[in-house]
Order: sequence, then C-alpha cells, then structure tokens
Amino acid sequence: MAVNPKKLRPYDQPPRKRFSLIPSAPDSAAGAFLVVSMLWLVVATGIGALGAFMLTMPEVLRYAFQWQFPVIGNVAFEISATTVNSAFLNALVYGWLSNAAFATILFILPRITGVRMRLEGIAWGAMWIWNLGVAGGMAAIFFPTFSGGGLLAEFPTAFDGLLLLGLLMVNGAFWLTLLAAPQRLPYVSLWFFGLALLTFMGAYGLGSLVQAGDWLIHLDDTLVALVNAFVARLILTFWVIGVALGSLFYVVPRATFNALAYGGMAFASWVLWAGLSGVSALGALVDPSVPFLVTQVGNVGTILLLAPIFLAVATLALTFRGRWSLSLGAGTLAFALLSLTFLLSTAVLEAIGALGSVQALVRGTEWATGPIIIATLGAATFAHFAFADHAAPRLLRRDWGDTILTDLQLWATFVGAATAGLALVGAGIVHGSLLAEGAPADAVNGTLTWFRYAASAGLALASLGAMAALVSLFLMYTTARRAEYALVDAVPADGPPADAVAAAGS
Amino acid sequence: MTVHTPIETGSRSIPPWAIGITVLIFLVGGVYLAGNLSGENPPIGGVPSPSGSAAGGPHAQALITEAGCQACHGDDLTGGVGPNLHGVASGPTSENLQDLGASNPEDWANIWIAGTDPAVSDPAMRSGMPAFGGPPYNLSEEEIATIVDYLKSLE
Repeated sequence: MAVNPKKLRPYDQPPRKRFSLIPSAPDSAAGAFLVVSMLWLVVATGIGALGAFMLTMPEVLRYAFQWQFPVIGNVAFEISATTVNSAFLNALVYGWLSNAAFATILFILPRITGVRMRLEGIAWGAMWIWNLGVAGGMAAIFFPTFSGGGLLAEFPTAFDGLLLLGLLMVNGAFWLTLLAAPQRLPYVSLWFFGLALLTFMGAYGLGSLVQAGDWLIHLDDTLVALVNAFVARLILTFWVIGVALGSLFYVVPRATFNALAYGGMAFASWVLWAGLSGVSALGALVDPSVPFLVTQVGNVGTILLLAPIFLAVATLALTFRGRWSLSLGAGTLAFALLSLTFLLSTAVLEAIGALGSVQALVRGTEWATGPIIIATLGAATFAHFAFADHAAPRLLRRDWGDTILTDLQLWATFVGAATAGLALVGAGIVHGSLLAEGAPADAVNGTLTWFRYAASAGLALASLGAMAALVSLFLMYTTARRAEYALVDAVPADGPPADAVAAAGS
Repeated sequence: MTVHTPIETGSRSIPPWAIGITVLIFLVGGVYLAGNLSGENPPIGGVPSPSGSAAGGPHAQALITEAGCQACHGDDLTGGVGPNLHGVASGPTSENLQDLGASNPEDWANIWIAGTDPAVSDPAMRSGMPAFGGPPYNLSEEEIATIVDYLKSLE
C-alpha cells in the first residue's frame, strides 16, 4: 500500500540521519584525508607557479610592511620570492603529499590486514589537527618574525606541536590496527608505511625540539642549520619516497590483477631503503664542524639508494607483465608507470648530485630544488594519483571511470613536473658553470632567466593538472551513480577469524 | 558485497641479474668512498667567512642573515636572482650601477643598499632589490656600513 509521507505522524517517520563532526564509519578518515589532499595540491601548485613567476620578475608582486604592537614589538609581513617558494614546498610536502600519504595508509591497512581500522574517529580528528597545523604554519611563513629557517622547517613551534599531535594520532591508529592483524609477516606495503610513519614522527619531533630549544635558549646557528638539513633529508627519503613505494606496491598488483613479481626483491628493496635512507641523511651535514668522512659516508649512502629504488622499480615493472596495454591510456597504471619513471630519475639525479665534483659546481644554485621537484611533484605525486584513481571511487562509493579530465591531469602534471624539475637542474648546472668561469652578474642573470621561465611554465602546467584532478573528484562525487564496494566492516572489532582473513582486502 | 582476495606474492627469491646490479651499485659506492676519504666541508648554507680582515665579521654575517640577503644573492652570496656579491671591492658588477659607482666611488654600495636616496629609489632601477634603509628593514647607516665593509672583504 502506498503511503503518503505528508500524512505520516512524527513517530511514524524514520529518524533523521545525523552526521557527527568526527565520524567513525569505515574509510571515513581515509576519505577525508584524500579530499583535503586534493585541495592542498591545487593550493601548492598554484603557489609554486606564482613563486617561479616571481623569480623571473622579482620586482613584481613583492609586498612587505610591518606593524608595531605594544607587547610583541615589530611584526614584519612579506610576500616575496623567498616566502612564496618556502610556502610552495611546505604546502607540497605537508599539505598535499602528507594528507595523501595518510589517506593511502588508512585505506590500504584494513584491506591488507583484514582488520577494521582501530581508532577511526581519532584518525579523523588527526585530519583536522594536522591541517589546522599546516594552514597555520603556512600563514606564519609570510611573517618572517615568527617563521623558522631551513628547508621544510619554517613552521613556528606552536604549529609544529599540532603536526606532531596529528602524527601521533595517525601512528596510534596504524599500530593498533596492525597489532590486531593475525598475519605475522604483513604485506611489504605495510613495512614501508610503518617505518615511514615512525621516522617521520621522530624526524619532525627532532626538528621541532631543536627549533623550540633555539627559541628558548638560542642555540648555535650552525647546529640548528645542520639539524634542519638532516631532518629535511630524512623526511624526503623516509616519508615522501617511502609512502610512494608502499603505495605502488599495493596499487600495481591490484590494478594489473597480477601477483607481485618477486616478493623477495620487494622485501630486499625495503631492507636497503630502510638502512640507507638514514645513512643518506648524513650527506646533508655539510659543514667544517662535521668530519668530512661522515658527510662522505652520507653521500655514498645517497648513491647506494639507487639499489633499493632499482629493486622496487624492477619488481613493479615485472608485475605489469601481460598488462602493459592498460598503462597506455590515462588511469591507475599510467600514473603508476610515470611514478616509477620519476622514482628512477630521482635516484639517478640524487646519486649524481652526491658526487663531490658536482657538489662543488652546483653548490648554492637552483640544482638543489630540481631533484626535490622531481621527487615530490613527480614520483610521489604520481604514486598518489595512482592510488587516488584506484581508491577515490571506493572511498566516495561512486561508479566512476576515467574521463578526459584524467588525461588532462596526467599530461599537464607530467609535462609540468618534468619541465620544472629539469629546468631547475639545468639552471643549477649553467649557474655553477658561469660562476666558475667568472661571468659577470648580468650575463648570469640573463642566461638563467630562460630556465626560470621554463620552471615557471612547468609549475603552471602542474597547477592545471591539479585543478583537473580536483574537478574530476568533484564530478565523481556529484554526478556519478552510487556504488558499493567491499569494506572491511563486517569484521568484529576484536579481529577476524583466521579463515575470514583471506576474504578481506579489495 | 564483492569478496576480494589479498595481494598474492610471487617467488620469494631474487633473480641473479638483480643481485648482480645491486652488487655493482655497492661496488661503485665503495670505490667512490675509498677514493674520497679526505677533504674539508664548506660552511653549511651560511654566509661565507670574510677573506680579509673586515671588522665586525660575525655582526655583519648576522645582519646579512637577518635581512635575508641570501634569498636573492645565494647562500654563499655568489649570486642567485641577484648578482654575485664577491668582488664588490673593485666596484659595481651590475650595469645599472655603473653610473652610481662612477659618481660615488667610495660609498656607492652604502647608497644602493639603503635605497632611500631619490637617485636610486626608482623601482625599475632597483629590480626587486629592497631599500634596506627603509621599512620594514630600517637598517641604520652604521649597520649598512658594517655590511659593506664585510662585502668588500669577500674575494
């Protein structure tokens, strides 16, 4: 019998669906991190394009003034190439890549272990705390009175605390879930995620501790600079590259429907990456107060990092067997293939940059930023694109295929990241060579302008790719048909029965 | 609800060619380390030590760091967006400062850094170089003189 809903009495109506601020439904935290990460990608690449443009015309858009306050004194505000480029790298690493990494970890963990995420609500809360910290730290970069110095160490101590709290919460959710898993030897992705999470928290904690110490008792500037350089290197190798590798080890077998080729090779890549990433960070300790041998051991560690990257790339490339045609169009496997290419390029460039003769030539030039762009905007970004292409329909419960926007996302970001990275590497080599020849300043600037234009254009293209990714996500949520995917939801909170584990994952 | 399976893993062994390439990378690293055991590190991304006997070196270095000169002139002041500052003792290295150097051979650098003199305050001429004698930097004439003395000591 048909019921007229207008005739229903209040107690006949179904209860209204209520949305809590901190939901604890399966995948809610992963979904939130994924959506926020896309917003940060657009912000980061937009700021990057602006920063590169400001390098070509420093007199344009430069804006600085100061206020005087009765208690805290002078507060300077500055929008310049320096502050904008700092904001770019921080938004890229702490905004886009870290949020995407958290989404990846929280999505993959329950699917591999067969155990529902523990502390899902805490992980969701971590999303708010982390992003509050990043947004506040980003704003503080434009106030040189408050911001710190050094690559990825610009956030003031108060916002460092928020980031550390967020990291602690995600670590708690990760380790509690992993410890509840019945498998004694989890899949290789989780090895990468576990170590990446721990070292990121440790490295960021070390950097924050030194920054707080410097603020309180004014530590030696060289010591602070050395610790900042060491921490930045740890974050890039352990966190940015580690999560990218872990993500690819999950996404490629899933998207190809193949077994992971050579599990031993994948595990060997983890062992070597885990051992050499820490050693490689010693190469950042470049100062007369550090024994030359220590720095050289670090440089050799950077050269040797080629080995784990090679093993990981080879394992994943072999996993593509029989499915190479799937990577021809834009989609999960095309993103993954580009990520592997950028990973290998990063390892080769870093190894070249670790050689003494090259360091002597390119020290203090644009070279240093080139491999970072290729690692972050290339390797890690495409690994997360591959993950998002696979996971977004599952997280948002939508039936969605790749569209022309996916093509735009792939090509614009690929051409943009490659152009910007190579332009900066080229600028570094040319800059170093001209300085070695004793070329006049005007000649150096005139030559480098063309490289800066190329980097600026590259970052603008990457920004276009980011916009395409965000619009694609928006259209997926608003226009696609609702669909159900497998969830690790029916598993009891105290862990699944042993025979149910094989049915988990997706 | 679709039932999925965990990720299968292929052979646990490592193929000989992969072992060979890994060993080769380690050999290259070992040989490089053996051939580069001695040397001295340059200063970390900081302002270089003066090569002459400039007075107030540490004070000048602190002023330079605080004012953010390295952002444009490079970590070791050898040039970036802005020109190389080594060798300014022999006069301006940029074309737009040649006239200023000719008319004020002694204190052209002080005038240029301060940027408050109408002759050097045109934004087109300054090309992004801040006027450090004005807000928000407000460096005093003495502070600018300390920086200039220091810069002139860099070879």
